[in-house]
Amino acid sequence: MLKLTKLSKSFGGVVATNNVSLELKKQTINAVIGPNGAGKTTLFNLITGKLISDSGKIYLDNNNITNLSEPEITHLGIARAFQITNIFPSLTVYESIKLALLSKSNGLNNMWTRFKDHQINNSANEIIELAGMVKSKNIVSSELSHGDQKLLDIALALSLNPKILLLDEPTAGMGPEERWKMIERIKDLWKKTKMTILFIEHDMDIVFDIAQKIYVLQQGAILAEGSPQIIKKDKEVIKAYLGGGKK
Amino acid sequence: MITFFKSDNFYRDASFAFTTWISLICVYFLIPDPGIHDIIQKVFILGLFALSLNILIGYLGLIAFGHAAFFAAGAYTLGLFLQSDLIINYNLGPYSIPIAILLSILISALLATIIGAICIRLKDIYFSFLTLAFQMFIYSIILALVNITGGDQGLMGGFPKPPFLGIDLGKPFDFYAFTIFISILVILMLRQLIESPFGYGLRMIRDNGERPAALGFNTQNHKLIAFIIAGAIAGLAGSLQALLDVGAYPEWAFWSKSAEPLFMILLGGMNTFLGPLMGALIFEILNDFVTANTRYYGLVLGLVILVFVLGFKRGLLDWLIMKIERK
Repeated sequence: MLKLTKLSKSFGGVVATNNVSLELKKQTINAVIGPNGAGKTTLFNLITGKLISDSGKIYLDNNNITNLSEPEITHLGIARAFQITNIFPSLTVYESIKLALLSKSNGLNNMWTRFKDHQINNSANEIIELAGMVKSKNIVSSELSHGDQKLLDIALALSLNPKILLLDEPTAGMGPEERWKMIERIKDLWKKTKMTILFIEHDMDIVFDIAQKIYVLQQGAILAEGSPQIIKKDKEVIKAYLGGGKK
Repeated sequence: MITFFKSDNFYRDASFAFTTWISLICVYFLIPDPGIHDIIQKVFILGLFALSLNILIGYLGLIAFGHAAFFAAGAYTLGLFLQSDLIINYNLGPYSIPIAILLSILISALLATIIGAICIRLKDIYFSFLTLAFQMFIYSIILALVNITGGDQGLMGGFPKPPFLGIDLGKPFDFYAFTIFISILVILMLRQLIESPFGYGLRMIRDNGERPAALGFNTQNHKLIAFIIAGAIAGLAGSLQALLDVGAYPEWAFWSKSAEPLFMILLGGMNTFLGPLMGALIFEILNDFVTANTRYYGLVLGLVILVFVLGFKRGLLDWLIMKIERK
């Protein structure tokens, strides 16, 4: 479905992404792990067109999407949520979702109707329900709790009905209990929508719990990849990341 | 009453606009003081100017500091066109005023397209300074082209204002009713724009410059269209000002003229649609009464702005709405 071949990106002398090749299968849930500075977010930025790669190619359903702009790639079906919550502070949850839906259908150029009367209310309500935000529907985003802001960030990406959903640390900054709640939500979402998910996560328990396939990044390159069972036993990974000193 | 003002139904807005126009016509006859009439029509002209700037400041979050360039472009276009031989050569006669106004809007929009296409690539202070730079460039051109613009003397010699559709702008009442009608009409259109999906797209960009692209929203085009619309309306305000003063002056392209709508926005409020119009009213009243009584106009204006910024912490209309909503 999504295929990267020999993707590389450096900033000055620092190689942030080093010869990364990977292929996501349809309707799978995949994780990217790695220490800070391993290039996880850079990889997301390359996939979504926020950054342009130095070399390598990106394919979506066998179409070359390398070097397309961020809005173009988004329209082709790759949506993302951000590590640092990236929402619209002065707009309510409902307005934000409605605007994301309008953005997808290129409806934001419409000057002749009233936004509030716009007839996409039903799908907006569906997304809000799917994200489990019905209670906070009419709350201004800046007044939401941190967890709900994260959820809104994901809901914004969901409204684009993407083929591939990239989640950059969906549980960042949350307490343990909130974390598992979020993970349950994501699991639930994935079961309901069957979209392909790639997420970044630090918590190993979470990763091993829900990911079908794991990519371990180190210094921009893929150190190991495979199912949780394989990664748990991989000597390189244990040495580099899981703390080989134990036991 | 509040729900009426906060309503986002076009027909209610339109009836409110029409009622306001009729009321102001009544005011004309009830208060037969030319000074008051002059203040009211100026408030609408300056209000248009400030409202157009607030598209960029209040809704898009871009502090444009060169908005007077479009005001001046509109004013000079109207004046130069009405003074030109085109009127006689093509026997435009009664059509000349409507054509002149449309031409002012068009030329300002064209200028805004060029300046906007370059400026909107920048953010924050860089955007502000580039708009200022372009404005001073326009100012220099007006000063340099003495043969056409009259240089620092301004566009002198007047121009004819031939009647059209039974409206004779040479008569005070006709001018008053016409100017206010056009202004209210454009304000109504602007209201529709701000409440449309397009207008909410502006708020998205203001709130978060980065996220819209990740939602597939091409913000550069959106910003440019908003910049062009803002420039076109400022041009219309300039052309009405030129019609009122039967001339155009280079100070209208000077940076201090760009600061005026900014003051109005600060005074009236940037988060309420009609805030800048309220600001224009405060500005104009200050202008009129203070200059009549003291030479220290700037000092008084500065103090008043301090009161608003430090005391109310927002413009008057924003403050009032906040008070009403809290009750």
